[in-house]
Amino acid sequence: MNSICDARPFTGEWDYGSLPANVRLGQNCFLERRDAFGRFRSSREVGLVLGDRVRVMTWTTFNVEPTGRVSIGEDTQLIGAVFMCAEEIRVGARCVISYNVTIADCDFHPLDLQQRRQDAIANAPEGDRSARPPLVAKPVVIEDDVWIGIGAIILKGVTIGKGATVAAGSVVAHDVPPGAVASGNPAVARRE
Amino acid sequence: MPALVHDWFPRELPRGLTLGERSYLYSSFAFLHARPQAENTICVGDDTGIYHGTFFELGPAARVNIGCFSTVVGAILRVEQELWIGNYVFIAHEVVISDCDGIGASRRLTAGAKLPPLSCQPRDITIEDDVWIGMRAIVLAGVTIGAGSIVGAGAVVADDVPPLTVVSGNPARVVRQLMQPAVKGGTVR
Repeated sequence: MNSICDARPFTGEWDYGSLPANVRLGQNCFLERRDAFGRFRSSREVGLVLGDRVRVMTWTTFNVEPTGRVSIGEDTQLIGAVFMCAEEIRVGARCVISYNVTIADCDFHPLDLQQRRQDAIANAPEGDRSARPPLVAKPVVIEDDVWIGIGAIILKGVTIGKGATVAAGSVVAHDVPPGAVASGNPAVARRE
Repeated sequence: MPALVHDWFPRELPRGLTLGERSYLYSSFAFLHARPQAENTICVGDDTGIYHGTFFELGPAARVNIGCFSTVVGAILRVEQELWIGNYVFIAHEVVISDCDGIGASRRLTAGAKLPPLSCQPRDITIEDDVWIGMRAIVLAGVTIGAGSIVGAGAVVADDVPPLTVVSGNPARVVRQLMQPAVKGGTVR
């Protein structure tokens, strides 16, 4: 009995019937709010995997593109993780991800100027979304026992090593080695 | 400006607001902290989307221009004087753009000192065509962001950004130059 969720028995207020069919839940997961899936559009066979005893608190959202897949290891606590996934985001076991943390495996817009203009036109309120240039995604991997502080942003292609800590407000664009502490914008990793 | 058909918030839109053809504004809630009777002019061009979570924090005489084919996804635009946003601009979630420092960082308060009056010297902000501002970036007073430039996620932009430049970090630094564009085709306005 060491977390707020243990003190709150699962009430069944979550409507399992409305969970997308391609979500795989482990044993004793806790999902606080169905709005977490408001922008879950994965059309992969398995679009989200939650390991045993994963807790998904109210500020968490899974914004997953049709091509995306998110997996979360057992005993991880997602307090306020905002996943923006076009390909793959993997979070290990026993991680804690705090409020307003954004994890994106894609920039969601092209860097090339010509393509950006095409993107802007396709994204207009009445634009043709199918004319958007293709997205470039690189998977994000967060290994076991990682802690991510309030408001951090984790960008595409990043691997955060086992047991590392990301300080509040960091913008992580490069890999963080296992056990290191990363902080700042851009984030700099230091060995403990 | 007549009310938006999809609006759920019981507030009139500012009189000085014009919204172009096929443009979208999520709600009058965007003007929650703006006084409806103020002499604001807010011009939004054609085919521009202003989505949920965007707020116009306008002083009594603020002027805002947003061009065509631009997208604002949940930014806070704090304007006392003038904010100019061009065409094909993309502004991501949780961005803050403020043309006024308020009680700025330069004014250190010592313990027990009286609070200085809420003064500010606004300086115009210009965001030129084809700029992309990444999520949670902050754009400060007096900044001009040149055409085609990209501001990285979480960057704090206090100085001008030349055209076709990628900046990121706090304070924002130049990361790289983009290729000279070969943009052809129609100009808007």
